[in-house]
Amino acid sequence: MENQNNNNRMYLNFGNNDRQNPPNDRANYPTTPSTFPQPVFPPHSGQSGGLQPSQQAYQTGYAPQGYFMHNQYPANYPAQPQGNDFAAVNVYQQRSNTPGTNDPNTGLAHQFSHQNLGGAARAQAYNTRGPSPAQRPRTAGAPGQSSGYASYPSAPMPSSAPVPPEDLFARAPERNPDRYGSNANNNQVKCSKLAADFFKDSVRRARERNQRQSEMEAKLQEPNQSPSRREQIWSTAGRKEGQYLRFLRTKDRPENYKTIKIIGKGAFGEVKLVQKKQDGKVYAMKSLIKTEMFKRDQLAHVRSERDILAESDSPWVVKLYTTFQDTYFLYMLMEFLPGGDLMTMLIKYEIFSEDITRFYIAEIVLAIEAVHKLGFIHRDIKPDNILLDRGGHVKLTDFGLSTGFQRLHDNTYYQQLMQGRSNRPRDRNSVAIDQINLTVSNRSQINDWRRSRRLMAYSTVGTPDYIAPEIFTGQGYTYDCDWWSLGTIMFECLVGWPPFCAEDSHDTYRKIVNWRHTLYFPDDITLGVEAENLIRSLVCNTENRLGRGGAHEIKAHSFFRGVDFDSLRRIRAPFEPRLTSNIDTTYFPIDEIDQTDNATLLKAQAAQARQGGQPIEETPEMSLPFIGYTFKRFDNNFR
Amino acid sequence: MSNLFSGINARFRGGGASQKPSPQTKSPTSSTAGAGTPHSSSDLSQASQSSSSQAPKVPPLPNSPSLAQTIGMDEANRSMASGEDILNSYQLPRPLPLWLNSAYAKHIVKGNFMTLSARPKTVEQGEWIAHQVVEHYRNLWNFVRVIHEKEDDGTSICSSATCPKMSAGHNHSFTWLNSRREPVELPASEYITLMQRWISGKIDDTNIFPTDPSGVSYAHNPSITTTPLSQLSSPTGEPEWVGKRSGFPKNFVDVCQTIFRQMFRVYAHLYWAHFTDPFYHLNLEKQLNSCFSHFVLTATALDLLKPTELEPMQPLLDLWAANGTFPPESKAYEYANIKVGEHLLKVAGAS
Repeated sequence: MENQNNNNRMYLNFGNNDRQNPPNDRANYPTTPSTFPQPVFPPHSGQSGGLQPSQQAYQTGYAPQGYFMHNQYPANYPAQPQGNDFAAVNVYQQRSNTPGTNDPNTGLAHQFSHQNLGGAARAQAYNTRGPSPAQRPRTAGAPGQSSGYASYPSAPMPSSAPVPPEDLFARAPERNPDRYGSNANNNQVKCSKLAADFFKDSVRRARERNQRQSEMEAKLQEPNQSPSRREQIWSTAGRKEGQYLRFLRTKDRPENYKTIKIIGKGAFGEVKLVQKKQDGKVYAMKSLIKTEMFKRDQLAHVRSERDILAESDSPWVVKLYTTFQDTYFLYMLMEFLPGGDLMTMLIKYEIFSEDITRFYIAEIVLAIEAVHKLGFIHRDIKPDNILLDRGGHVKLTDFGLSTGFQRLHDNTYYQQLMQGRSNRPRDRNSVAIDQINLTVSNRSQINDWRRSRRLMAYSTVGTPDYIAPEIFTGQGYTYDCDWWSLGTIMFECLVGWPPFCAEDSHDTYRKIVNWRHTLYFPDDITLGVEAENLIRSLVCNTENRLGRGGAHEIKAHSFFRGVDFDSLRRIRAPFEPRLTSNIDTTYFPIDEIDQTDNATLLKAQAAQARQGGQPIEETPEMSLPFIGYTFKRFDNNFR
Repeated sequence: MSNLFSGINARFRGGGASQKPSPQTKSPTSSTAGAGTPHSSSDLSQASQSSSSQAPKVPPLPNSPSLAQTIGMDEANRSMASGEDILNSYQLPRPLPLWLNSAYAKHIVKGNFMTLSARPKTVEQGEWIAHQVVEHYRNLWNFVRVIHEKEDDGTSICSSATCPKMSAGHNHSFTWLNSRREPVELPASEYITLMQRWISGKIDDTNIFPTDPSGVSYAHNPSITTTPLSQLSSPTGEPEWVGKRSGFPKNFVDVCQTIFRQMFRVYAHLYWAHFTDPFYHLNLEKQLNSCFSHFVLTATALDLLKPTELEPMQPLLDLWAANGTFPPESKAYEYANIKVGEHLLKVAGAS
C-alpha cells in the first residue's frame, strides 16, 4: 500500500538493510545536474484537482522521476531498482564531471526540496518565507542559488594532504547490540518502529492535509463565492485542522466517555459500548488490562492490532478511531457494530441454511482477502471476531494475533500447550464431548458446549477450534492458514459445531493436528456436495489448500456459483439487525456478561497495593510507547 | 574558543532572522575575555531552570592559523576561511565524533522534511507550535528511554557513573536551577528526568496547552478573513500574542522556546555521550538522525531555537546543510556553515 502512487510523496526509506555498504549509499540519493534544463512540467497527474496557481508553480519545480527517466536520458537509464529514487548513480557521475559545479551536494539539496508530498505545503513554505509565493522553486543553476555559490568561486582545497577518514573520524567499532541488556534491546525495537511510524504517520497526515487544503482552495476559487462565504470556508477549514491537531496532542482518557453497557468481557479486559460525553458519539471501547498484557506477553499482539487497524481503510475491517492508555489500561476506541458477532448468531440459530452460509462465507472471503492485501495474516479468524454492522454485513476485528508477513513467530506458547498435560478441571465449564459421538442424538451435550462457548471465547487462551495445524506445529505458515479457519467456520455454520471441538483445548489441538483422522461429517446432517467439497478443500494440508494462490481460487469454487462478489456488500444481508437506537445492544448477550467495570475493581486493588508499597510512577508514554504515540486519524474523526 | 566562533558564524548565517542576538555574540571580545567562567546562554527567562555553557580553558589552536583573522572579520573576509579552518575553530575533539562522519549522518527518511514542519495556511500559529512541541517531545523520549530504562540488574546506559554531568562534549555542560534558583550540576540522567517531569507538567497543563476543541481558532488571512482581528480576540488595545486567539497564554511561546531548548540539550547529550554507545551499536543512529534533523528544522523554522543555541551541534548541522538534509530555503540551512559541511563530506570520502 505504501509504495503505490507515491511519486508525489516524501519517500520513506525505512529499514536498516543498507547499512552494509555505507560508501555507496549516497548513490541512492537523488542529484540534479546543474546544467539540467528547466522545462515547464505539466501539472502532475495523480494530484487532486483544484490546485491553485501558486501550487502549480511549485509543482513544476520538482521533477517527476518520469522526466528524467524517459525524456532526458532515455537510453542510458533504462531501469531503476528503486522506483522511488531519481536516477542517481549515473546522473551523479555526469554531474560531478561538469566543469564549474564541483559541489555535488547542492544538487542533492535541491533535489530533496523537489521531492514532496504535494503542492500545498510546499507552496506554503515559500509563502511564509518569500515575498513571491509564485516564484519558481530554486533549483541548481537558478539565479538565486548560483549567486550564493558565486561568492565561493573556487572552494579552497584542504591546505594539507587529505587525511584518511579513519584517522580523522572516530573509528566505527563493529556493531554489537548484545552488549546491552534485554530492556535496552526491547527499547531498541520500539524506538526503531516508533521513529518509522512517526514519519509514516506524519507523511500520511501531511499528504491528507494537503489534499484537504487543495479542496478548500478550489472551493474558494469557485465563481460567485461571496466574501462572507469565502471567509466561512477558510475559518471552518482552519478550525477543523486546528481541532484535529488539538485532538492529536490531547491525551484522551476514559473519563471522557460514559459507559452504556459492557458488551464483552475477558481475561485481558472488556469491551464497552460508550458514548463520548462531549458530542454524544457512540463507540466500542476495548480496554485491556496492562498487567495482564505484560504477564502474558501480549504487547506485540496489541501492537499488531493497532497496526492493522491503523493501516486499514477497508469496509471489511472494523475502524479504529484512537488508542490511549492510563496507568492500568490500554484503550482502543473502535467503531461500534450493533449487529453483534457471528458467534452470538451461531449460538442463537445453531445452524444456517446453505444460502445464508454462502452469504457469510463469501463475505468472510472478501474480508480475509482485504486483510491479506494489507500484508497481514489474521491467524485468529473465528466467529467471535466476525462482527456484523448495522446492515448485517461482515467486518473483521480482533487483530491481536494477526501479524505482518515478515515477522517471526513464537510458537513456544502453542508447543507448551501441545506438550503439557491438560490442567483443566473436568467438571466445570467443560463438557464431555467426543467428536466421534457428536451426532444429533446427543444434542444436549452440544448445547452444553455451546453454553461454555462464550466462556471460552473470553478466556485468555481463547478457543483454538479454528486455528490451522501448521500454526502450532511450528512448521511455519503463511496466508493460507486463514483459509483453514474459514473452512472450520463454514463447517460450524452448516453442522452446528466446529469440526474439532473437544472437551478442552488440549484435545482440540490434538484433533486439529490429526485432522486427517478427526475431520468427520456427521451422517445425519446432509451437506451439499459442493459445500462439503469446499470445506474439505480448505480444511486440509497447506499444500493442497484452496486459496493458497489467492482468494480468487476460493471465489471460483462451485459452491459460490452465481455469487457476485463485487456487489456483495451492497445487497441486503440475510439478517439485518433491528435497532431501536444507536445504543441498542439487543444483539449482545449482555445478560450473560457481568456488568461490573474492571476499572472499579482494579483501582480498588491498586489503592490497596499502594498502602503497602510505593506509588507507581511511570508516565504512560514511557511504558507503552506505541500506544503513547497515539494513533488518530482525521478522516475517522472529523468527517 | 569554539563556541565563540560558531556563535559569530551562526549570527552571520542567521542574518536578521535571529531577533535577539544573545549577549555573547554581540560582544565577541568580552566573551573571549570571559573564557573559563560559565556564562549564561540567555536562558534566564525560564524560571525554573537555566544552563551554563562551560567554556573550556582556551586550548592552543595549532590547526587554525586563520583564527586571528577571523575574529572580528567581516563577512567578506570570513568567506576566505576554508571549511577546514572553520571546522578547526570549533575545537572538536580529535578524532572527530563518529556522527560527523557522513556515513553515519544518514536517515531513515528521504525527502523534504520541511513539508512536515511548515504550518498549514489555515492553522493558527499557536496551535501549530503546540502540535510540534508535543510531537517532538514524544519522538525524543523514544531515544531517551533506550539509555534510561534500567535493566533487571538495576543498571542503565546513562547513569551518574557514565555521565556525571549533563554535557554535550567537553565544551558544553548544562546546569539545573534548584529550588533556591541556584545552578547545580547534576548527572545527565537526573537532569533529563527532571526535565521530562518539567516538560510533561507543561504539556499536560491545559492552561498552557488547552485541549478544548471549541476553543480552536484559525489563521488570519487578510485577503479572506475580513473580520477584524480585534473582534476575533479581544477589544483593541490589549496586546496580541501568538496563540492568543486559540486560548494559549501570553507566555506560551516562551514556554515552548524553553521546552525546545531543553530538548535540544538532551539531543546534544545523546549525540555527544551516547551516539556510539548505544545508538550506533543498536542500529538506531539513522532514526536518531532523522528525528533530530526534523527537530532542528522545525525548531528553527518556528523560531523556537536561536542560532546560538545550536552551537553544541553546529558541525552536524553544517554537514546536514551540505548533504541536502536541510533544504536551502530552510532556516536551519541558513544557520549552518555550508563550507564546514562540504569539508566534512569531502574528508569522509563522500564527495
